Amino acid sequence: MANDIITGRAWVFGDDLNTDVIHPPEFFSLHPDKVKRGLFHKFDPTLQSRLEPGDILVGGKNFGCGSSRETSMRSLLLNELGAIVAVSFARIFFRNATNNGLRCFTFAQPDVRHTIVEGDRLTLDVSASELQPANGDSISLAPTGPFIQKIWAAGGLLHMPPFGPSA
Amino acid sequence: MAGKTLSDKILDAHALDDDAGATHRRVRIDALLGHDATTALIADAFEERNLKVWDPDRVILTNDHFSPPATAERADISNRFLAFARNCGVKHLMLDRGICHQLLVESPLCQPGGLIVGADSHTIMGGGIGACATGMGSTDILYALATGTTWMRWPETIKVELVGSMPDHCSGRDIILSLLQQLGESGGQYRSLEFHDLTEPKLSQDNRFAVSNMAVELGGKFGLFVPDEVTAAYCEARDGVPPSGLIRPDVDAVYERVVTIDLGAMRPMVAKPWSPANVVEVAELNETPITVAFLGSCSSGRLSDLREAADELQGHQVDPGVRFVVIPASVEVFKAALRAGYVESLTEAGAIFNHSSCGPCGGIDKGVLGATDVCVSTSNRNFRGRMGHWESQTYLASARTVARAARRGRLAPDLY
Repeated sequence: MANDIITGRAWVFGDDLNTDVIHPPEFFSLHPDKVKRGLFHKFDPTLQSRLEPGDILVGGKNFGCGSSRETSMRSLLLNELGAIVAVSFARIFFRNATNNGLRCFTFAQPDVRHTIVEGDRLTLDVSASELQPANGDSISLAPTGPFIQKIWAAGGLLHMPPFGPSA
Repeated sequence: MAGKTLSDKILDAHALDDDAGATHRRVRIDALLGHDATTALIADAFEERNLKVWDPDRVILTNDHFSPPATAERADISNRFLAFARNCGVKHLMLDRGICHQLLVESPLCQPGGLIVGADSHTIMGGGIGACATGMGSTDILYALATGTTWMRWPETIKVELVGSMPDHCSGRDIILSLLQQLGESGGQYRSLEFHDLTEPKLSQDNRFAVSNMAVELGGKFGLFVPDEVTAAYCEARDGVPPSGLIRPDVDAVYERVVTIDLGAMRPMVAKPWSPANVVEVAELNETPITVAFLGSCSSGRLSDLREAADELQGHQVDPGVRFVVIPASVEVFKAALRAGYVESLTEAGAIFNHSSCGPCGGIDKGVLGATDVCVSTSNRNFRGRMGHWESQTYLASARTVARAARRGRLAPDLY
């Protein structure tokens, strides 16, 4: 499951992007197709169909604030988003992402986010904590600690002990 | 050695390792809360793994998002949830009894000093009686349900001192909206917000719940009141016995920062679209006609909220241009409001009651907003599109402000 190099296009968002905007509650469902279609549906009904596997969301402060409904996370996973890079993450969203193996990084220098433009081709080097735009200087990301990396390496919380092989 | 905050002490008491230097540690939980929507998400994964609930006596599950269901799909979700809860032998399966967060604080499982996790962000409301209670996603909840444990970081703490005497027309809602104005939507991110009630008279338990509930709107992990005589009286009335061994922070506890709010200077507050931190005083508003008023949700919808609304509307009528939807936070609250005559007063005034549930707060159930609706609400989030149409607008305010606006047909600077 570990994917050390993630390549995709940038989708750029601002501060305080909440989970109701990421995935409107009307798309709450046990059916994966419906959950997948709901991603950003009210914000921009055309966005979901334009996403490609590996694409990277770029955000500001407090990415993913609001509800804990994990359908927001499932929708990001069903759409095969590669990673999220933001200035900071809301607590529950960060846990949900980590528990499901979705890489979330914060910028080492928050202002750098403004150099990333929607549609930029980005290459994320997970082990080096580095983001490389196709045109431009590489961007340092804050390294995640060993605890988070252990969950990523396992493939998510449900592959950790006692559910998965012990460490 | 530096003193400890309230959450330090509670987490220390629940740590399962002695690795005090680690960034993340395993802790045991005292109780777990879940509702129909987010619990249904884990049912298949839990059963496929042949897992067992670590302690069925310590789990509260209730259907509050789809109660009763309005569509066939939601009925299917509800039924999946109920089958799961029954298969697990969960002791406190509370069918159609109200919003899970209200049911938690009505339960002896919610104790000062406890560590509680729930499959919904507003689980934090258990902090109103001094519990470290926090919301999580479904994957975390599956893990906690099977193991009785979870992983946690010890958060930094922001101390919030509440001083002075609150004016009669203000409430806990105005306090937390004022704090949101001051700190912003990420001002308490990952932090434990530790509320010290130094007011005279002390805040009621209902007001404390309103404050703790929206601590998550600041990004908080915990939003807990230092337990005192108000906490003890509430727990004793609920449990029949006083709470044991109330934990308090050390006097030399280390805080990241201290915020003081003088309630004597408190004014009725309102959060404008589309952020709970976009807060101004009611007196600073422009005249804003409304089409919907909503009194309900885990954030409010308690007996004191219904009393305030009934006081405002006793002998008056809701403006004919306004639909006023009232949803008591639990069936127990509804029964108490019936006995007190609030249901009759509000119904005579033109308000309509829906069954105790989340209702339109999350844009799911009856009372959702259309494109041209402008709503004033006691709920906790006015994110764009959350209560319905992307173009609809929601203002957050106290129950008293909602009732005054419903009567006037508008939000206005001279509501008070």
